[in-house]
Amino acid sequence: MQTEELIRKLSSDLQPVPPRAIERRLGGAVTVGVLVTLALVIAGLGLRPDLAVAITGGMFWLKLGYTASIGLGALGLTAQLARPETSRIAPLKWLLIPIALLTAVALAQLLEMPPAGWGHLWMGRSWKLCPILIFGLAIPIYLGLIVAFRRFAPSRLAATGAVAGLASGGLAAAIYCLHCPEASALFVLTWYTLGMALAALAGALAGTRLLRW
Amino acid sequence: MRESEDELRALMIAGLAGDARAHQTLLAALARLLQSFFQRRHRDAADVEDLVQDTLIAIHTRRSTYDPARPVTAWIYAIARYKLIDHLRRRRLDTSIEGLEEILAVEGFEAATSARMDVDRMLDTLPAKQAAAIRDTRLDGLSVAEAAEQRGISQSDVKISVHRGLKALAARLKGRR
Repeated sequence: MQTEELIRKLSSDLQPVPPRAIERRLGGAVTVGVLVTLALVIAGLGLRPDLAVAITGGMFWLKLGYTASIGLGALGLTAQLARPETSRIAPLKWLLIPIALLTAVALAQLLEMPPAGWGHLWMGRSWKLCPILIFGLAIPIYLGLIVAFRRFAPSRLAATGAVAGLASGGLAAAIYCLHCPEASALFVLTWYTLGMALAALAGALAGTRLLRW
Repeated sequence: MRESEDELRALMIAGLAGDARAHQTLLAALARLLQSFFQRRHRDAADVEDLVQDTLIAIHTRRSTYDPARPVTAWIYAIARYKLIDHLRRRRLDTSIEGLEEILAVEGFEAATSARMDVDRMLDTLPAKQAAAIRDTRLDGLSVAEAAEQRGISQSDVKISVHRGLKALAARLKGRR
């Protein structure tokens, strides 16, 4: 019988599976993707010239904290969705925490500034480029995640694609902070978030095809 | 001669550690389990055989996604369910106009899926145990024995939960009118 032969083939040369295999595989893939994106930022866009000064100020760390927390939070959800029996997505309420914190800072900055300067706080100098660059920089990380998922068993493909996209967008945005000199919380809240949301949307659309197994 | 959740889980964990014989025993037991799982949901015998083999391969290649702290049958049925849905979807894309009845049958499947969302909402109002028992036996088509294994409770427990849950739902529906 064919099935019996198949079983015999599958059982021969059986490799042990190390504990926390999902986390290891996902971690390896993300590391490669992050290094590629980091190289693109350093070689392609260049580090912001005032980086040495910027890291002594709070705004740099606020931007990094906002984007990295979204990226890492979404990465944790992605790991859960690698298992087939995860049928419901854990609530995305935690996303509100970084958004609420950044909104508070954005309001404080607005109140300090006369209304004539509000337009600049919102648009900065690079609002047109920022979401597109974050989206583009997310692609290597997203592809790394897709490769890792070739051995996983997601049953909610669109949802998995969306959180993988959000994770890629968040991590890409965190790396983009090394280049982007914008210092307004409202700017980050609008344009960084837009870039991450685009990555999540595209991730969901691509995921329904790329994640099939 | 149906293996219990505990036995299957022990085999699975041994297989993950690299025990080829345990893995082979597991796959053979699962082949029987999957055979009856797909047979009850799909008429075409050749398709059932394909689905069984496809699912066994998926279970083997994706075994790292099993979390030893969770029930192994839930993991296996989740993979089997995914393979069945994927099969039906693929079938619909490939079917030409001649297979109209089949397309209609699959359309019925879609309608059933959206109706199921309403059912899910109703079940959410019940205690988790009753909702799970109804979901397993009345929606997912598991037998009482399979449901009991999957949840690690006794068969009479499943029956009582289903009975009480349905009764509560019926009372609620009457009250709404």
